[in-house]
Amino acid sequence: MRRSFCAFLISMVVLGIFIYPSYVLAGPTDQVKPALDNILEVLSDTGLKGDHHKTERRAKIMSIIKTRFDFREMSRRVLGKTTWQEISDGDREHFTSLMTKLLENVYIGKLESYSGQQIDYTGEKIKKNKALVSTTIENNGEKIPLHYILINTKSNWMVYDINIDGVSLIKNYRQQFKSVLKRDKFPGLVKELERMNQELAGEVKK
Amino acid sequence: MVNTKRILTLLLLLVFLTPILGDDFVYGAPEPTIDEMLDDELMEDEAEIEEEIYDPLEPMNRFFFEVNDTLYYWVIKPANRVYSFLLPVEIRDCLGNFFDNLTMPVKLLNNLLQGDFEDAGIVLSRFFINSTLGIYGFGDPATSEFNLVERPADFGQTLGRFGVGEGFYLYWPIIGPSNARDTIGYLVDTYTHPVPYMSDQFAEELLYYSTDRLNDVSLNPEAYDDVKKYSLDPYIAIRQGYYDYRRTKIQQQSSKDSAPIDF
Repeated sequence: MRRSFCAFLISMVVLGIFIYPSYVLAGPTDQVKPALDNILEVLSDTGLKGDHHKTERRAKIMSIIKTRFDFREMSRRVLGKTTWQEISDGDREHFTSLMTKLLENVYIGKLESYSGQQIDYTGEKIKKNKALVSTTIENNGEKIPLHYILINTKSNWMVYDINIDGVSLIKNYRQQFKSVLKRDKFPGLVKELERMNQELAGEVKK
Repeated sequence: MVNTKRILTLLLLLVFLTPILGDDFVYGAPEPTIDEMLDDELMEDEAEIEEEIYDPLEPMNRFFFEVNDTLYYWVIKPANRVYSFLLPVEIRDCLGNFFDNLTMPVKLLNNLLQGDFEDAGIVLSRFFINSTLGIYGFGDPATSEFNLVERPADFGQTLGRFGVGEGFYLYWPIIGPSNARDTIGYLVDTYTHPVPYMSDQFAEELLYYSTDRLNDVSLNPEAYDDVKKYSLDPYIAIRQGYYDYRRTKIQQQSSKDSAPIDF
């Protein structure tokens, strides 16, 4: 009886060692890196290169990105608390999908254009439930600093902002949206975003 | 030339400083450090209390923004097409290195003023390596062979390091985004740049500065197009980007430090 209890305890400890790190101890870098690696893999896949494979390639990348990027959190922050609380749930969904499309064009569009397809991890900082993962990506011999800002939700680190050499993407859009909101309110902003996404999509087909 | 520039500097100093001297935003309170901002619970919903960039001249700035935008599409872009066709990218890279090497005194002085002696040393080493091994600065062996990366420094940044506030936002014709502080910095920097001392003729200087700028554009042709393509209001996108970029660079203590990113 006692022996089997010991065996049980030991097996729990051993199991615990294997299970524990992957759920709780996995730091922000450990969680972001596999996703970014997968994206680079898709980007360097010769069978998916070129403009005629764009839709397929983007779909693949987006399915990876959605596991690690929290687009709803991004949208909430970009819109600002007041406006986010004023609009209906349906509007929030719609706005999130517009933001997702926009960030897809900006972020993946940029990654696709960079010549060097290697990411270096240069640092990690954690503050309470937020974290910063610093990386550099090379383009024409120049190292571009890209920082991912993450929030911890249910032991998952999710990206909610990208900072390019000191310039926060979310903050930049928030300031732009603010002036549109002041002028045209939320429906005006949605219209502007729809127009912009359409323009960017038109460019994809060219 | 130096004389006219001196008068111009004085005039601009007067224009900028008279109405705002003694006001809070010139010698403003130091910006909160990242740690303070993170510990501040209110920052959780930063959207509402985020400070606005002081831009009282927005109508004028927007006008010059349109002017520059038109210039970009009607003059700079076509000129760049010809320029990039005539000179292969390798030569443009070399020219970029050459122009960059000439800014050594500006970077040296400002790294020293900011107490960054290590980075000042890097600037000097880079200059000597690139001027000799790199043949008058056309090559950049300091980066490729010696892995010496410098921290760019200018006088606007030095002022910022000493707690001088940005003043108001300014969008200059041709030059682009700036503010009261960085404009003064820019003018001071022209005094430590060797080119005005080497030439007495305005036309030569103009040729130098425009080639420098055109060369920059030719090496990053998509930068401005990207901003236009990806933003709802490019004027605000550039304004915000300029301030964030400058503030990060001012807070970054040395090239060894990682950039202090606000999160």
